[in-house]
Amino acid sequence: TDAFLPAPQNISILSTNMKHFLTWSPVIIPGATVRYSVEFQGEYEREYANESWLPISECSLSTATVCNLTEDISASVPYRLRVRALLGAASSPWGTLTGFFNRVTTSLTPPVLKVVADGHHLLVELADMGPAFQFHVLYWKKGQESRVKQKVVREVSSVVHLDTMEAGAEYCVRAQAHVEAINRSSSFSPTLCVRAQGDISLWL
Amino acid sequence: GACRVSMSMAEIRAGFTAIKANIQSRDPIRTLSVLSHPHSLHKVKSSDRCCITHHLFTFYVDRVFKHCKTEDSFVNRKISSIANSFLSIRRKLGQCREQNNCVCGEESTEKFKQILANYEGLNVTSAAMKSLGELDILLDWMEKSH
Amino acid sequence: SGELYCSLPNPRNVHFESINMQNVLHWSPPEGTGKGVLYKVKYSVYGVGKWIRKPECRNINRTWCDLSSETSDYEEQYYASVKAFLNGMCSDWMETTRFNPLTDTKIDPPMISVSSTDKSISIILTAPEKWKRSPDKESVSLLQVYPGLQYNVSVLNKKTKKRWFFSISNNTLVVPWLEPGTAYCVSAQIHVTTPLLDSGFSKEHCISTLKDK
Repeated sequence: TDAFLPAPQNISILSTNMKHFLTWSPVIIPGATVRYSVEFQGEYEREYANESWLPISECSLSTATVCNLTEDISASVPYRLRVRALLGAASSPWGTLTGFFNRVTTSLTPPVLKVVADGHHLLVELADMGPAFQFHVLYWKKGQESRVKQKVVREVSSVVHLDTMEAGAEYCVRAQAHVEAINRSSSFSPTLCVRAQGDISLWL
Repeated sequence: GACRVSMSMAEIRAGFTAIKANIQSRDPIRTLSVLSHPHSLHKVKSSDRCCITHHLFTFYVDRVFKHCKTEDSFVNRKISSIANSFLSIRRKLGQCREQNNCVCGEESTEKFKQILANYEGLNVTSAAMKSLGELDILLDWMEKSH
Repeated sequence: SGELYCSLPNPRNVHFESINMQNVLHWSPPEGTGKGVLYKVKYSVYGVGKWIRKPECRNINRTWCDLSSETSDYEEQYYASVKAFLNGMCSDWMETTRFNPLTDTKIDPPMISVSSTDKSISIILTAPEKWKRSPDKESVSLLQVYPGLQYNVSVLNKKTKKRWFFSISNNTLVVPWLEPGTAYCVSAQIHVTTPLLDSGFSKEHCISTLKDK
């Protein structure tokens, strides 16, 4: 390792909706193209594999200062992450993320949904949030807030049938995203209401 | 009470499916199995399931994954993903055992001894690679019986 | 019998093709051998010490062999192997990868029957059966093999061109409050979460709701 190549700084994790990215500040060497490589270490590697590290090939010899860890961080255990700079044959010391990252801490955003009344039918369309997600959809007849119904929906980007509606009645819907792998849910989306017998749709 | 452990089988399945052909091609021994012969997991009594599952997760964490390092970075990353998932699940199963919800009967102990005997009948690298290649046998049994 | 001189090119791409657990071994002829090649087939249960010949696939000139009967226990895994013969020469035995009937089979779409009243349609779904040796044998539904099996149902209003999706675990679905005298087309797919197995969508079954009385 050469002293003139400093370790990357400001290493941090951006984790939203079960997509995890490592970012860091660029190492600036005037007139040179600095590349980076990233490695991860799970709890298993610390406790059973001599604290070994595994390289992420997609982020090796890359000039980007961000690395997608999603495929590798696929267990709910604490991970350590590190990145170093490379310039020709020279490599910097490792810059290691402070502390650990466990995917259970990912931030979950409420789902984006579209509610449609098609005749007597209450329908919902949910934007895709990734394979780890399912949706808890709550719906009720306006004024009967005590009789809320729930449906677990896994299909996305298609119009999912929730229920039939009484003629002329107004129905309200709200939903939250749920990740079974970490057993956590997002906050609820705003409530959207539509009226039966008419082709009304509200896209948020 | 029963031992209820939430586990993301789909993720482990996906990880194994991605490397199944690669791993199984490294196991040339057709005539021996660690998990399925002479005793089949499918014959385990329901009362013994939790104990056998805990034994097997401990077996994989303690004795299998560490001997499965390959020259292929993609395969190693998938093995790491499975190993860390197993570690997380094994911990939850351990909590069940502490709360006495995962009792080991004589039959499950005997069955697990047979699995260890199968494993120890081979050199460690062959045994570990064979055991890893048989992960779908474990997953099939867990999904069907749990 | 002693093996002949084995310098014939090998059969290629030896693999199982499985639908609803009808497990058929397929292969391609050896390179450049043309007509007259004969084959024999053997199989083994993984973890059990012996290869077993398949008499019905001995000295055959076709390039497939139905091993459904021999591989019907889906709690086991299997290997199969093929050897080619031509003019006194033979090839090596060429093996499949390890075959797991439970995860390596493909599933047919469900069968659908649809009936209608003036304002509703009723849909009955039937999961395909597991392959069986003969018609008189007991039927096993794939529902029993894959307990977590679900149906994704698509209902298309031919007039408005709007398509709705339903995801159900039981095999019946009634869609009430429809428009009288309107054509609806239904198709369905089987979804198994783990192991991850999805059938294709079935052919569309179209039916009209009765006209308003």
